[in-house]
This record gives sequence, C-alpha cells and structure tokens, in this order.
Amino acid sequence: MFEIKPIFNALLRSKVGAVLLLIQIAITTAIVSNAAFIIKDRLDYLNQPTGYQEENIFKFNVMTFGTDVDLAQQAELDEASIRALPGVIDAVTINAIPLSGGGSSTSYRLKPVPEKAKSVNASYFTADEHALNTFGVELVEGRNFTESEVAHDLDNTQSANVVLATKALMDELFPNGDGLGQFIYSGTKPYKVIGIVGMMKGPWMKNEERKDRSVIIPYVRIEKFNKFLVRTEAGRRAEVMKQIESLIHKNYSKRVVQDLAGLDKKKADYVAEDRLMMRMLVILISVLVLVTALGIFGLTLFNINKRTKQIGTRRALGARKSAIISYFVVENSLICIAGLVLGVCGAVLLGQQLMANYSVPALSNWYVAITAVAVFVMSLLAVIGPARRAANIDPSIATRTI
Amino acid sequence: MFSHYIDLSWRSFKRTPLVSLLMVIAIGVGIGITMTSLSVYHMMSMDPIPEKSDKLHAVQLQIMDEESSWWTPDDLPYQLTYQDAENLQNADLPYKRTALMKSGFSVHLDSDKLQPFMAVSRLASRQAFEMFNLSFKHGAPWSAEQEESATPVAVISQSMSKKLFGTDNSVGKSFYLDDLNVQVTGVIADWQINIKYYDLNNGAFNEPEQIFLPFSLIKAYEIDTWGNTNGWKNEDLRNFTNKMQSEHVWLQFWIELNSEEDKKAFGDYLMNYMQEQKKLGRFERAKLEYGLKDVNEWITYFEVVNEDNKILVALSFMFLAVCLANILGLLLAKFLKRAPEVGVRRALGASKTQVFYQHIVEVAMLGLMGGLIGILVAQLGLWGIRHSYDYYSNLANMDLSMLFAAPVIAITACIVAGMYPAWLVCKTTPSTYLKSQ
Repeated sequence: MFEIKPIFNALLRSKVGAVLLLIQIAITTAIVSNAAFIIKDRLDYLNQPTGYQEENIFKFNVMTFGTDVDLAQQAELDEASIRALPGVIDAVTINAIPLSGGGSSTSYRLKPVPEKAKSVNASYFTADEHALNTFGVELVEGRNFTESEVAHDLDNTQSANVVLATKALMDELFPNGDGLGQFIYSGTKPYKVIGIVGMMKGPWMKNEERKDRSVIIPYVRIEKFNKFLVRTEAGRRAEVMKQIESLIHKNYSKRVVQDLAGLDKKKADYVAEDRLMMRMLVILISVLVLVTALGIFGLTLFNINKRTKQIGTRRALGARKSAIISYFVVENSLICIAGLVLGVCGAVLLGQQLMANYSVPALSNWYVAITAVAVFVMSLLAVIGPARRAANIDPSIATRTI
Repeated sequence: MFSHYIDLSWRSFKRTPLVSLLMVIAIGVGIGITMTSLSVYHMMSMDPIPEKSDKLHAVQLQIMDEESSWWTPDDLPYQLTYQDAENLQNADLPYKRTALMKSGFSVHLDSDKLQPFMAVSRLASRQAFEMFNLSFKHGAPWSAEQEESATPVAVISQSMSKKLFGTDNSVGKSFYLDDLNVQVTGVIADWQINIKYYDLNNGAFNEPEQIFLPFSLIKAYEIDTWGNTNGWKNEDLRNFTNKMQSEHVWLQFWIELNSEEDKKAFGDYLMNYMQEQKKLGRFERAKLEYGLKDVNEWITYFEVVNEDNKILVALSFMFLAVCLANILGLLLAKFLKRAPEVGVRRALGASKTQVFYQHIVEVAMLGLMGGLIGILVAQLGLWGIRHSYDYYSNLANMDLSMLFAAPVIAITACIVAGMYPAWLVCKTTPSTYLKSQ
C-alpha cells in the first residue's frame, strides 16, 4: 500500500531536509491553533451585545469657564433644548458614559457597614429620570424613578434614596430573585431598589465582574465639567450631532464643547487594543501558513531536481505518472503527519503556557484538531504542483548523463 | 577575497533567482513581523530617563486598614492621600521631590482671538522640572514664594506657547484656565517621552501635559483631579475639603534620592512619619509599610507592557524560527547542488575554511537583504498599528536601536541557519566530483 516502506527508507537517507520540514509544520500547527483560538476569543469579546443602540447614541462633554451663570439651571436648559431638537428621542446629563472605559464604581452590600454582609462591586450612573430612556434599555421589573425622586444636589446635602439596578447585579445579590423593593447599601447609605433593568453594559466591558453590574441613581450634581448623553431616532444621529456645538454656545457662550462622539466610536476606542491584537494575529497566521507552504513547495522542487534521474529511470521501467505523484505525496504526508503529532503536543503545551502566564482561557481541542487538518490539506496543496511536474519528466532523461 | 566572495554570492543569487528571492522574502517577512511586535515592546519597556532612572523614586504608603486590600502584588496603593502628599512636600528634607496631580481646564484668552479649548494640566512642585530633566527655553520655574503663596502662575510647553500666543517666548504673558488668570513664568521644550512614567495610573501612553501649575493651587482654588481617585474605606465626601482630609488616594509623589544612604534615610523618615500619624488615628495596620520604586521598577510594577504584546513577541519569534527552518532547508538544497563546483575548487587548492567562509558570506548577504526588506515590512506593520490604535501613536515607531537591530538579527539568524549547509558543503571530497559521472 502506497510503498510506504521504501519511501520511509529513502527518507532516512536524507534526513535533514525532512526534519526541517517537520519542525516547520510542528511550530506552524502550535502557533496557528493558539492564535486562532485567541482570535476567536477576541471576536466574541468585540461582538458581545451591549444592550444599547450604539449607532443612535452619542455623547459630548461641556466645560464651562464663565462664572456669570447658574450651572444647574443652565444644565436643565441645555437638556431641554437638546430634547427639543427634531430627531432627538431623549438626552440627559450623566456622570459616566457606558462602554467608554471611564466611570465610577463602588461596592453595594446587603447590610450597612460595619455589619458583615455580601458585597458586590458595581459601576454607578447618576442622572435624572431621563437616563433609562436615553440608554434605551429595557426595564424588566418595577418602575423608573420619577422627577420628584431625583436629588438635585446644589449644596452637597442632597442624596437619593431609590435606585435602579441591572438584573445581573440583582441576581448576584438576591439569588432567589426577590430583590425588587429590598434595600441595598453603599457604606451606611440605604437605597431602595425600585426597578430592575435588563441587559446593559457599564463603562468597562473588559471587567468580567463589573461589566454587567450597574446601578442608576436618581442624583444630579452639576459642576464645571459635565457629560451629556443623547439618543436619536434611527439614522438621524449625524444631523443632530452637527447642531450640538452651536446650540450649546447659543445657550451660553463661555464654555467648551469637547469629545463629541458616537457611542459606537467610544466603544471602538475602548476595544481598539483588542481589535489590534486580533488583526495582528490574523496577519501573523496568514503569513505563517504561506511561508510554510512555500517551504514545502521549494523543498519538493529541489528533491525533484535531485532525483530527476531516478524518476526518469522509474518511468522508463514502466512506472505510471500516478505512481510518481503518489510517491511525493506519500513522502510529504509522512513528514507532515510526524510534524502534526509533534505540533499537536506543541500546541497543547503552548496553550498551557499562555494560560499559566497570561489571561488566555484554556485552549479548546477543537482548534488544535481543525488546525491539524488544515495544515495537512495545505501541505497536500503545496506538494501537488511539484509532484505533477515530476511525473512529467521524460523517461529519456534517465538515459543521458547529467 | 571578501569582495570576490560577495561577487560570487551575487552570481549565485542570480543563478537561482526564484529560490533566492523566496529565501529573502521569507527572512524579510519573518524579521518584519518580529520587529513590529518587538519595536512596540521596546518602546513600552524602554527606560524613559536613562541618566536618572535609578535616582527618581515613586513613593507609596500603606494607608489602608487590615481588612482592605489592593490589587498590587505588594498590596500598596499606587497613589497617596492629599494629607500625606502635602506633608511630604512640606517636610524639612534635603531631597528634591514633587507631589503630582493631573487636572484639566478650559484654556482661553478671554477674547475672540482664540477659540477656547480644553487642556489637561499637571500640578507639581517647582522642583519637578529639574527632577525630570525638563529644559527651559525661556524663563524659569515659578519661585518658592509663588509656590508658598499659591500664586496663579504656570510653566507651559513650547507648543502650548505657540498655540496660545503665537510665539515661543511668552514669559510674563497671561492666559485663563477656566476663570483663573495665570501668568507664564517659563517655557519648556516639549516633553518627549513615549511613556508617562511619572503617572502610569492615568493613561500611561497619553501625551505628557503641556501646562504645569504650582501644587499649592489645589488647596487654594479647590482643583480636583482628572485622574483616578480610589477610596478604600467608607467616607462621606460632601465637598473638596472633605476630600483633602480623607483617606482616599489620588496623588502621585516622586523623590530624587542620589544614593543608597539617602534611600535608607528617607525610608526611615517615612517610617517615623507613619508612626507619628498613627497617633492621630491614621495608618491603622500593625505592620507599617512604604514603597520606594525607581523608574524602571515602577514601569515593571505597573505591567505597562500589556500581555497581548508579550504574547505577540513570543509568537513572532516562533514565527522567525519557522522562517529560519525554511531557509535552512532551501540553503541545504541549493548548496549541495553546487557540490561538483566546490569539488573542482577544492581540487584547485581552495581550503575548507575558504569554502566555508565563502558560503557564510553568501548567507550573510541573504540576511542583509532580508533585514532590509524586514525593515520595510516592519514600517508597514507599525504604520498599521498607529493607524488602528491612536493610543500607540508614540509607541509604534522604530528608533535607531531597532533599525539597527533588524539587519543584525537577520544576518545573525541567517548565519546560524547557514552554518550547517556551509559546513556540509565544505566537507566535499574533491575526488568524487572529478570522476566523470
């Protein structure tokens, strides 16, 4: 079958080239399977649902340097005038922008400090009753807070008493699902949970613990520097964004509008690093596979040149073209299989190293298996051209001296 | 002889152009990918102030109680409380030191001449300029009196000066930060560093600030931080005074210690300081601890070289190994094909050493070409990085050492790969090839 034995014996006589090829195939398999796995991991991270219509939401900052204006009143006026713009669904001043990588977080507990109790870290948003509608996220239980429940903190004395929390946070604090209407504590301060919000990511998508756990507190404190979040009707965001700066300056001129950007852009900036890593890995494995394929191709060509005489002799003695092709294909497959055996071990070892030293999840064996098959197919494709060339060697060549 | 070998190499290159080109491209791509990830790694981990990095130390204090912990390996918070920063700044000590804080303002000239814009700023002591080797183009740091009395003065960078006043020398001119009128006392050359080692906690790869203000303005004008504020205990902060008196950490602190003795003396001072503060009910832990890390230790401690980059560097070196195995195979085939020719040369009196040397020259030339292609590939790769990730725009560059490293790594790698084939070919026994075949 396939004349494996003579091929193997012939291989043993010219070991070095075969060993080099084997090493290439092994390393390629190890790298590609791990890189493909990391790529998949990043893709899942980049494409995870956030709960927002990112393409219809934008944010901007306002820095006021003028001193002849009441900041709190001005903010209310700004909000009202933005909400009045055609195409705007809702707008709100808020302390942090989701998906942006910047925000505030604190611990929420089942009992006030200093009592011992379960404590969970969550990000918090502070805004008025328009927050929920501006986010465009769903309320799964309870109700939104009303205007009267919003603490407008003008002199550092006011604070809120109720709160909306995400389902992910409530599931953590109240595993039995009876959290609505209960109190959660930040330090000694109690908040009554009046509503539970569905899926919405906080400011940090990377943080496994915090990304889904957020609260929205009905609290407004206006300072010199404020952030605004605006949601528009589908497809009308660009036209609304164009009007923002002039509108803000028209309302009051002594201020700077800064970082006017869509939520999709903020998210893109936040995940840029991971997208970059993904791109680099894609390039790395594409080029790597190409280089390995070229190596197989080049080496087979050389082997054919070296063995022209033998091939001619075999053909003169009656070997079919298919026999010549199968010789090279089998030879290459033998090397490739040996390389893959090594490569699979290498891939698993490399995966373990990456997992031990970095925050890379455990390598799934599927990736190793699929990579091995793909590398095998690639090596077949690389060898088939030169092998056919070998089959076309004229038997008369064998009778000439070189 | 060397030039003759170069000539021979070139002829050999031209004899098998396709395979030679394949080899050069393989090396080029391998080196290019490796240098791309290595350059970013190098820029991230490079000593930003080599002449002084062992003298400048970041100060940390263990302010937390027994129950609280931090995510650092040694459990020390990155930053200091305002009280401690102020106390250390005002202490009677012979060392240059500076508390630091990142903030930001609307910058304007109170006229229509300039569109107001937002700029981040750095609050610092007057000694900071000398500590961090910032050179003054015009003027000088603010005076000790101005720092003492919290006079609104500033040192700005050349670029900022141009942007505000259209001139390099703006000493004595004034501009507005929010509603505060600030006078320029000095203009420094733009601070060119690729990593903000003095404040890694708040955007390690952002551009350095271009406006510097006296640290004493924080208290006088209630200037809050634009960086991270971390609390570990439950304190109700109602206003800025509360924050300044709280145990929240939000400031950086650097000190210049020129010798081990200084370091020890300052360490003792810190221990005493914490003992004193303990009497006031602060520093509740039984075991008092401080941290004094120099610039490079600080950069390592913060793990600014991100994991992805380390993984990429490791993978690209493995990739380079594949490229080399590839080249080795091709060289082997190429050289052995040439055995008859070598046989003739050996018969005519060439020594093994000469034959070996000739082949090494040939692979080194391939390496050099590959290295040059590698530089081009790496430039392309780095351009791609800069293009897709703004934050790395200062990092994704090759400095001279990396430009030099590319061909060196390429040639070394090729010579290592070429050793075996060259050795094999120089062992050729002349007699074999002198017989007719």
